[in-house]
Amino acid sequence: MNRHTNQNLIPLFLMALLVLASAAVCRAEGFSFGGTEGKSGNCLSCHANPAAVSGKMLIDPARYTHTTHAKIGCPSCHASMPAAHPQGGVPARAECAECHSEIAQQYGSSIHAGKTRCAGCHNPHKVKSPEELSGQEINTMCSNCHDVLKMTATHGQWLPQADLHIRMLPCITCHTGAKSYYISMYIVKGQNGSRFGKQEVASYDELKSIAGGAEIVALVDKNHDNYISIQELRNFNNDPAHKNLHLQGMMTPETVTHNFEILDNRRNCSFCHTSGSTVMQTSYLTFPGRDGTYQRVAVEKGAIFDALYGTPDFYLMGSTKNQNLNRIGLAIICGGLIMPVGHGFLRFLTRKNREKKEHES
Amino acid sequence: MSEKTKIYLQPIPIRVWHWLNAFGIITLAVTGAQIRFPETLSFLGSYQTAIRVHNTAGLIVSFSFLIWFFYYATVKNNLDDIYIPNQEDIKHGIVRQLLYYCFWYFLGRPSPFHATPKVKFNPMQKAAYLVVMFMLEPFVIFSGLLLMNVTPLRVLVLMTGGIKFIVALHFLLACSLVAFLCTHVYLATLGATPLSYLKPMIFGWEEVEEHHEVAEEQQGAPRGYRPVRHYPECMQHIPDNQHS
Repeated sequence: MNRHTNQNLIPLFLMALLVLASAAVCRAEGFSFGGTEGKSGNCLSCHANPAAVSGKMLIDPARYTHTTHAKIGCPSCHASMPAAHPQGGVPARAECAECHSEIAQQYGSSIHAGKTRCAGCHNPHKVKSPEELSGQEINTMCSNCHDVLKMTATHGQWLPQADLHIRMLPCITCHTGAKSYYISMYIVKGQNGSRFGKQEVASYDELKSIAGGAEIVALVDKNHDNYISIQELRNFNNDPAHKNLHLQGMMTPETVTHNFEILDNRRNCSFCHTSGSTVMQTSYLTFPGRDGTYQRVAVEKGAIFDALYGTPDFYLMGSTKNQNLNRIGLAIICGGLIMPVGHGFLRFLTRKNREKKEHES
Repeated sequence: MSEKTKIYLQPIPIRVWHWLNAFGIITLAVTGAQIRFPETLSFLGSYQTAIRVHNTAGLIVSFSFLIWFFYYATVKNNLDDIYIPNQEDIKHGIVRQLLYYCFWYFLGRPSPFHATPKVKFNPMQKAAYLVVMFMLEPFVIFSGLLLMNVTPLRVLVLMTGGIKFIVALHFLLACSLVAFLCTHVYLATLGATPLSYLKPMIFGWEEVEEHHEVAEEQQGAPRGYRPVRHYPECMQHIPDNQHS
């Protein structure tokens, strides 16, 4: 009897093993990273689907695909995945410093160290290189923690026109020890199509619509040579069809570092306001791309110094003065000296005539 | 034969305005030069100091401009009489005054015009001050206020043509004011003595010599020359013991 019972259990045991093995394989397929070509494909099948995940777990594939992180794929940072995924378990996360050791070192010695970690400012699934950001986006990262109004008030204790400086400069221009700068220009538009409405960075779709479906770079770069001359800038600024578009500029570090600090030399206005002849020569015009990044196009050297229409809405006192205006100003002052010098000379030569008349009277 | 008389030419509000304006504009010119050419000029030390002093001086000049405007426009109600050239000024006065500055002065002839409280400026002064007080100063003040408040007045900045246009306007108008200042200071020394035009702007009173041989003087005068205008109702004879 017992032997008979045992013989009946063997197939059942084998069947149970088969079912468990199948289940394990299925579950393993659920969190598999897939082949080396796909890298992120399997993950995005759920993580790019708003019906499957939400909140921080939801990844915008357009923005993620553009990042360097997408090129190395999800497993590079999330090397191990708990067996229970997606039902449970926390996936492994790599430390940013494992790849970005130099930046981590800079950051560790900055005044930000200990305040927040990398993810406090950067979303690794959306991160862009500095060239792909508009200056305003850089400041948006800062303003997540540093309230703009409070910062304006704090800076206003010593900085003239603090509101203007905070609006028109990336914070890192003053708060990192960058050595060289360029002017990053981007297109802003008045809200609700008004020329004088609140200025906001024009989006890709808006500019695409204004360009009539053509490449938005062609709004300024008319000859499609991927280089913007001063004349092309003037034409763009004088074109009545673009009357609600303006070019704003920001003095942006050439090399972005994470060495955040409060530098005494930045409190000396001369640091920026006397830097004209060399620093201000280089400028780029950045255009938004379909994927949320920015493409920058080189602008003719010295465009910032154009007297009126090259960059009518960008001026850095002391640094971007136009030499022709200086010459006209000097000529006007010299004109004012004609009377004292010329008349004064003749007055000296004819002084005896007046002395004689005075004596006679 | 002549005797000295005194005219109360410059009342206190005008003298206050004038000197606030004068020192304000000189300060603005000096600090403005440093703000535009910080790489070569550093009269006031730091750039920040130059900007703060420039802004303060700009506000003082704006305030003094209001004093001037309201005094003449409301208290005295003679802004147009004083500053707008009349028909006679345009037809003959400006040429006559020009001839005086270019020729007669060098020959030792007296000025064909003498100031009174009602007619303070000769025709050339009227034309010049009309431009300075009704165009240069208002526009330089307006552009300066825009540049001091770029963010709050952003809409006005855009409406005016952009910040670069405003900066260019402010700079060229300021240069014009400096040019005017040079001429103004020089012409202020062309009185009977180099300081005789300055005294009324300090003390209010001007001393003038009243000539009685007008007919005789007119006989030898060049064509187009007219003698000094006299306004007895504005004059006050100075007792002999007060003559200097």
